[in-house]
Amino acid sequence: MYIVRITALVGAIALSSCGGMMDDLRPSSADNSQTANADSTGGTQEQKAPDFTVSDTLGRSVNLYAELESSSAVVLYFTMWCPVCAAHSDNMRNNIVPLYPNVKFFLVDYVSGTVSAAREAQMSNGYANSAFGVLVDSSGSILSSFGATMGTVVVISKSGMVTMKEDYRDGTALKNALAKL
Amino acid sequence: MEGRTAGGLRLTARIILAAALFCGAAALLAPGVAWAASCCGGGSASALTLPKDSDSMYDTSLDIERYNGYWNSDKKHIADPPGSNMAQYRLNLGYARRLSDNWQAGVAVPYVWNDAHYAAASSSSNGVGDMAVSVWYEAFDTIMCVYKVDSLEDLRPAVYIGGGLTIPTGVSPFDGAPSSFDITGRGFYRFDTNLLVEKTVWPWTVALALSYGAYLERPVNREYGEYVKPYHKKPGDRRALSISGGYTKDLVDMDTLTFTVAYSDMAEYGGTIDGAADPASGLSKKAFALTGAWASAGKDWIARMSWSRPVRQDGWGANFPATDIYTVGVSYVYR
Repeated sequence: MYIVRITALVGAIALSSCGGMMDDLRPSSADNSQTANADSTGGTQEQKAPDFTVSDTLGRSVNLYAELESSSAVVLYFTMWCPVCAAHSDNMRNNIVPLYPNVKFFLVDYVSGTVSAAREAQMSNGYANSAFGVLVDSSGSILSSFGATMGTVVVISKSGMVTMKEDYRDGTALKNALAKL
Repeated sequence: MEGRTAGGLRLTARIILAAALFCGAAALLAPGVAWAASCCGGGSASALTLPKDSDSMYDTSLDIERYNGYWNSDKKHIADPPGSNMAQYRLNLGYARRLSDNWQAGVAVPYVWNDAHYAAASSSSNGVGDMAVSVWYEAFDTIMCVYKVDSLEDLRPAVYIGGGLTIPTGVSPFDGAPSSFDITGRGFYRFDTNLLVEKTVWPWTVALALSYGAYLERPVNREYGEYVKPYHKKPGDRRALSISGGYTKDLVDMDTLTFTVAYSDMAEYGGTIDGAADPASGLSKKAFALTGAWASAGKDWIARMSWSRPVRQDGWGANFPATDIYTVGVSYVYR
């Protein structure tokens, strides 16, 4: 009987070790990060940002490279209107956005699907009149082209280069990336 | 008159027997504290407690957790985006064993299914959740519940003092999962100290459960499958309180049916990233729970259903999803 129990326990741990989950059981501090080929296009740091044109929640068409022409950089934050997203967005709005008036900050709503639903979510979450534009990524094309998920923040320089892409965390990396522009 | 007296005695004897049997299982019938949710679906198991006069126990339960808005960091309740429908299902397998007269240990493993549907995005995923291991010391030598109070001694409660360890066996944001929809665990070890104080004066039971847990800081070099510059992260300490009151109805053949109402309050303090405050950390949730539990005459089989519901109003939570949790479970106790 004990053998069955121990086998079940070991089996559960073995199952959990599949797919890189040992990263949690034995977390590593090794720096395995890499930068991409600068000549390629994609959402990874050092790549040329893929262009997009989508509607914002006010019904205006927003094109990435057109926005870069009138600003020093574009920042994208991917939101699904969740508690973590709200905490990150509030932190960015209060501590970073005011420092960079020449940078365009956008929340990318990849869950609401329509302009009206995204606008409703924007208002109920308290961003109706904020400095953020909200992009309606109804097809998920921006999400997939940048390889993003909830909480991902992307900085795109005026030249169209992705200079940062990672979880927002506490905003320190975003501040550093913007300071280097 | 004699018949009535004999009938009364039989009834009293029956109540005493039912009370004695019930008392051995009282800890099992009270609702557990379910704090599994994270905004992206982290699932964890909760600790098992073994009745005093038993050797071991198997437990299986299914949690259905339905998301319905969230509280932001200002404690304001905010609805989910229109057209969204999110749920997490957890199949929990547990085993507890008596180590000695006053010591017991248990392990619980959840298997988690995430189901998220938005107007513009849908995802289904599954995997093992975070495992929980627990050890309890029973600070009493005999069953402490009574069917009648004759002295102050009869009011002494059963006190359990425990320790727990949550093991990050689930899929967290810090390993190979490419999306927040795929998360089944938090990715951190956590040590808990637990206190359970319980008193039954047949047929009424009251219980108080307190818990304080601390996460271990860990290095992170990967987020959603992509390697990043390494940093250290630590969620804030967690405290939880649950108070409950229950009533047990004696059924035919000494089976019992117990109804319990519970109030719970859980919070995590702010965490850190490389020693600095993490703005997305710190959370709280208050909820009420109703539980109905049936126990067989021998108190070897116990089946239960519960419903935990938060108050979806401002001020009843912070930085956390407002979720209803429905649970059905069965335990088998070896004596």
